Amino acid sequence: MSRVSTVFPFVDIVGQEEMKRALILNVVDPGIGGVLLKGEKGTAKSTSVRSLGGVLPSRKRVKGCRFGCDPNDKDSMCESCRSLLAGPGIEIEEAPMEVVELPLGATEDRVAGTIDIEHALKTGEKRFEPGVLARANGNLLYIDEGNLLEDHIVDMLLDSAAMGVNYVEREGISFSHPSRFVLVGTMNPEEGDLRPQLLDRFGLSVDIKGEHDPKTRAEIVRRRLEFDDAPERYAASRSEETEKLRSRIAEASARVRSISVGPEVVDAVVSITSHFGIDGHRADIVMIKAARANAAFEGRDRIISDDLVAVAELVLPHRMRRRPFEDSSIDREELERCLKDL
Amino acid sequence: MPEGPLSYPFSAVFGMEAAKDAIRCAICSPGIRTVLIRGPSGSAKTVLCRSVEGLSGRRVVNIPPGADMERLFGSMDMERLLDTGEARLEKGLVAEAEGGLAFVDDVNLMDERTSIALLDAVVTGTIRTERDGISEVSSADVVLIATMNPDEREMSDHLLDRFDICVSVSPAEDSDARREIASRRMRFEDSRADFCESFEEKQSEERKAMEDAARIVPLVSVSDELRLIVSEMCDKVGAEGVRGDIAVINTSIALAALDRRDSVTRSDVERAAAMCLVHRRRYIPEPPPEPPENEEEPPEDREDQKDQEEPPRDEEGSQEEPPEDREDQREQNAEMSLPNIDDMMFEVGRQFRVIDYLGKGKKAVKPSSSRKGRRSEQECAGTSGRQVSARIPDGKTRDIAFGATMRAAALSQKGRERGSMRIVVEDSDIREKVRRARTGCTVMFLVDASGSIGARRRMSAVKGAVLSMLKDSYVKRDKVGLMVFRRSSAEVILPPTRSVEYGYKLLEDIPTGGRTPLSAAMTTASDYMTAYSRSHPGERCYIVLMTDGRSNVPYVEGADPNKEARELAEDLDVPGIQWIVVNTGNGFRMVDSASELASHLGALYFNLEELDADALASSVRAAARL
Repeated sequence: MSRVSTVFPFVDIVGQEEMKRALILNVVDPGIGGVLLKGEKGTAKSTSVRSLGGVLPSRKRVKGCRFGCDPNDKDSMCESCRSLLAGPGIEIEEAPMEVVELPLGATEDRVAGTIDIEHALKTGEKRFEPGVLARANGNLLYIDEGNLLEDHIVDMLLDSAAMGVNYVEREGISFSHPSRFVLVGTMNPEEGDLRPQLLDRFGLSVDIKGEHDPKTRAEIVRRRLEFDDAPERYAASRSEETEKLRSRIAEASARVRSISVGPEVVDAVVSITSHFGIDGHRADIVMIKAARANAAFEGRDRIISDDLVAVAELVLPHRMRRRPFEDSSIDREELERCLKDL
Repeated sequence: MPEGPLSYPFSAVFGMEAAKDAIRCAICSPGIRTVLIRGPSGSAKTVLCRSVEGLSGRRVVNIPPGADMERLFGSMDMERLLDTGEARLEKGLVAEAEGGLAFVDDVNLMDERTSIALLDAVVTGTIRTERDGISEVSSADVVLIATMNPDEREMSDHLLDRFDICVSVSPAEDSDARREIASRRMRFEDSRADFCESFEEKQSEERKAMEDAARIVPLVSVSDELRLIVSEMCDKVGAEGVRGDIAVINTSIALAALDRRDSVTRSDVERAAAMCLVHRRRYIPEPPPEPPENEEEPPEDREDQKDQEEPPRDEEGSQEEPPEDREDQREQNAEMSLPNIDDMMFEVGRQFRVIDYLGKGKKAVKPSSSRKGRRSEQECAGTSGRQVSARIPDGKTRDIAFGATMRAAALSQKGRERGSMRIVVEDSDIREKVRRARTGCTVMFLVDASGSIGARRRMSAVKGAVLSMLKDSYVKRDKVGLMVFRRSSAEVILPPTRSVEYGYKLLEDIPTGGRTPLSAAMTTASDYMTAYSRSHPGERCYIVLMTDGRSNVPYVEGADPNKEARELAEDLDVPGIQWIVVNTGNGFRMVDSASELASHLGALYFNLEELDADALASSVRAAARL
């Protein structure tokens, strides 16, 4: 069972800095809207996402709530929390965020949740049995091979992601509960493309390239094999660094909303996005949030141009007007010139 | 030890050393979890796999290629639900194989999503189930041994990469070997017990060697120098990611252990590379082949040949042309007074918006209910396809969605006369499965890249057209494949995929030149797509033949190539595959060979220029003004 529970230490993933940064920023501020990891086979995409579970900070939630309602978000609470709130009040507990996986073969009833059949048979009562979208609330929802997911499952994810609520109307059940999650998806571009609606949902996107330097490759392999030999021991040997990173992320996420976003930052962001011809306001907002999260993670209390440079590559390329067969990437020099003008 | 009839002993399997090594490695090393054995039918790959049970003493679970997700990963245990009212998972095949081996024959015929899910479970050692009211995570400590027949259908690189080891086998060719194999088989069938007995000594040696190796594996060391060599090697053959690197190292360790050594040697690494990297090899555009330091650098930078240990089989594709051919080609070149047109590359020409070429024309296929948007996902009747949801059936159904039915029944138990039963199901509770399958289109482009087309500078235009059609497919989410023919054969450049961008990259690099083997090309494409459609039931298959209709290499030596192509075309007009001929000729010719060919193929027919929706529109407008 150890294979199921122990994850490779996030701090020991070789290279792939952009991917790691994108994941961390989303944990620091879930409002960024998730990240899509695109790339070749075997480039540690899945490993990194699962590893992230080892450095996630804890969060507050209503104790005993089956949907992990956020005590600070009273508007989107589930029915039972609301009635508690109106009556005896809620208890709050701290629980670590987790990575919730949505497997390829998942069926509708398990994703949305449906009637609890056992309960119905035993008591004759209708009760809603939470599904993946309930478990994902307040957590990371990980879809591996996003492009292979069934369309109607993708539609459910999109609805929840857009509204932060999962509305269930099926099999004689009518129910809703909060479902706010950081959507993390991986895909292999060779296997086909993601639907544009889904693509647009992701706040950040990272193009992952394989490692070609033999020394680095050998190092990746060495660590991996050492881990496979004795996962717990390996993870324990990195526990100090892991703990350090976890508290750095936790501090950043506690501070992120206190970092002010001055008009000069907004100006800079808007001029960058319009320079690169990006429509819509989503990019502006995501870029501001990502830059702010980056500043928080770097321990700063204000956003500087380095933050914008650091996140531009994560925010812009997948939003650039692009025809199916053109590569999109950001010219770093162009970006820096753009920032210098400000 | 297994019960039931004795299976053929591993040690009695003749030859196939590479495959045997692969299996030995998988049994003795926890680092090797997936093995693929490729070979044509009749190469005893199944016999070999089945013999593993007797060898390892571990349970072997057989997974049929038609198994769906429920069968693989489990579904609700109906009996238990009815009996006790508890919703529990009934184990699937993968869970049954826990701690042992799973064996999949013809893994390439499996539904692609299902096979990815299966391989992922085995590779990560974890089964995640979220179906039919059950949510569970469990371990999957399983070694998967799979076979495939490459004649049937290729697997995507993506899937292949999930196999730690992939070896090819071929039927023995020399007559001594054949005699020996046949006589062993006869002896086995006449008296299994005696035959197994006679190999028992060898079997127990083999078993002992493997038990020993399993103990040695954790003690084997790999020098840093060799690790570096492995990574260099993997990068050089274009293996993406590090799965290949890891597989080579784990396999070398297993090989060393099987040889009772506690350190890996260069030769272990080389043998391991031959087992782990051939299927990960990628074509790398600019190969600057530095002279290898070591003469036996195992894999070469070539994509086509897969066999390493065995001599190449009788594939004509991509081999050097026979000398006589070359002579003919000189003649040909002289005739066209173009001395050096071999292997020229043409840039991709102008692109355009494409008309709906799959639907137009005189012999349109069955129109689908919705023509808008993607054509690829459709609900399907019958019991094939994946279950996506459940609904109230229209009349009687035989495809009952059990979980949904029970949930519906559970809601209305109040007031029903239950007696001693846990649950009473009435007609109104019955739900049926809604299944979906990719019943979309697969379009195989069969492009003439011979000299004749290059000579006329038409290749750029053709590439432009193909690219335009690829883009069209991208929007409509068809699968596309690409075959190119020139010189003496047709080659699959891109097996059907939904990734059109990838096709584009390959298209750019197609060299042009050589002669026009039209008959061979049509036959190859037809065979390929026939096999493909067989393994993708319900899918509509198209072959878009881009040619000027003229051939100069006959299939049968001495035949008139053009006449032969036309006659052949008649036979290739088979159900299940719709041909589309796009005439790439300039239209200056008196005899339009392409349209003639199209009529023999029962094909839809277009001139290259007709595909351009805008040009077509303007010509229609022009005609309307007149």
